[in-house]
Amino acid sequence: MLSERELERYKRQILLFGGEGQEKLKKAHIFVAGAGGLGSPISIYLAVAGIGTITIVDMDTVDQTNLNRQILHTDRDIGKKKTVSAIEKLREYNPDITINAIDATIGGDNVADLVGRADGIVDAMDNYPVRYLLNRTALEKKIPLFHGAIRGLYGQATTIIPGKTPCLECIFPKAPPKEVFPVVGVTPGIIGTVQANEVIKYLIQEGTLLTNRLFIWDGMESRAEELCIERNPACPACGAGKATPEKTRKP
Amino acid sequence: MTVKVRFFARFRELLGTDLITNPNTGTTLLALVKELAGKKKEGYDAIFDEHGNFREFVILMRNGKRVELADAAAVAVADGDEIAVFPPVAGG
Repeated sequence: MLSERELERYKRQILLFGGEGQEKLKKAHIFVAGAGGLGSPISIYLAVAGIGTITIVDMDTVDQTNLNRQILHTDRDIGKKKTVSAIEKLREYNPDITINAIDATIGGDNVADLVGRADGIVDAMDNYPVRYLLNRTALEKKIPLFHGAIRGLYGQATTIIPGKTPCLECIFPKAPPKEVFPVVGVTPGIIGTVQANEVIKYLIQEGTLLTNRLFIWDGMESRAEELCIERNPACPACGAGKATPEKTRKP
Repeated sequence: MTVKVRFFARFRELLGTDLITNPNTGTTLLALVKELAGKKKEGYDAIFDEHGNFREFVILMRNGKRVELADAAAVAVADGDEIAVFPPVAGG
């Protein structure tokens, strides 16, 4: 049941989703992998929307070079663990929800436990090896993976539903080389907000999800477009080429 | 014939947005992308390795359908085709 205070807090979105929709958000548990450029707007918007439980994981410390885009963290947080900074801000945004901030490096040995019984995983990572782990965990647990990635003024997003859509390895079978990527804060702002929007729609079961489509944002041209994406029948993660447990990719 | 080639993300920064080309009959996907990318060394190097093969992470699509990189040398483009070439974007 929503409290009087919650009914007031969420009044303007209850106009959209009804009390029933708001209850669905309250009952949900969402896992956010990363408290950086994407993780900041994602977790802030999920918190203010009233997602009942948010687990956010990061292993990093706030650095001055993060501050042009990682809006969970401010100048006075430099040197703090990102999880400490994140939980402070998210609690201020919404004291009525549960926030778990876990200081950990996501790896093959802990990813399943970290995700636990979450209803969905939001990809706010900055590298493909960990994204592939999140993808396989989402497939195993049969929960959605809300993918997003950015570089410069360019970003992409898609919603992966196990068994219904291509998985991340169908779309991007090989990781690009690592780099220190250029970025301006508005780009993860745009893509992270698209991801949070997907989570909310998925949970309230309304609207059309970004499934089987890769959303592409070109901020330099101010153009949004999409590419159709398909399952790969031979995908090593979700298709016929699926590895047996002993052959599973090591991180 | 007319074929549109669209580069995305980093490839677009290096090579431009939508390129309309008029390839000869029988031109393969590999040859067409190589020719266009070859106009700028940095763009070419981003897409192809030192042996002239697509880098393994490159995504190639023809009219919205994925083309395996290994098949690009065997698939000839056709009039009206739209080819998309893009890298996975990785930052977060």
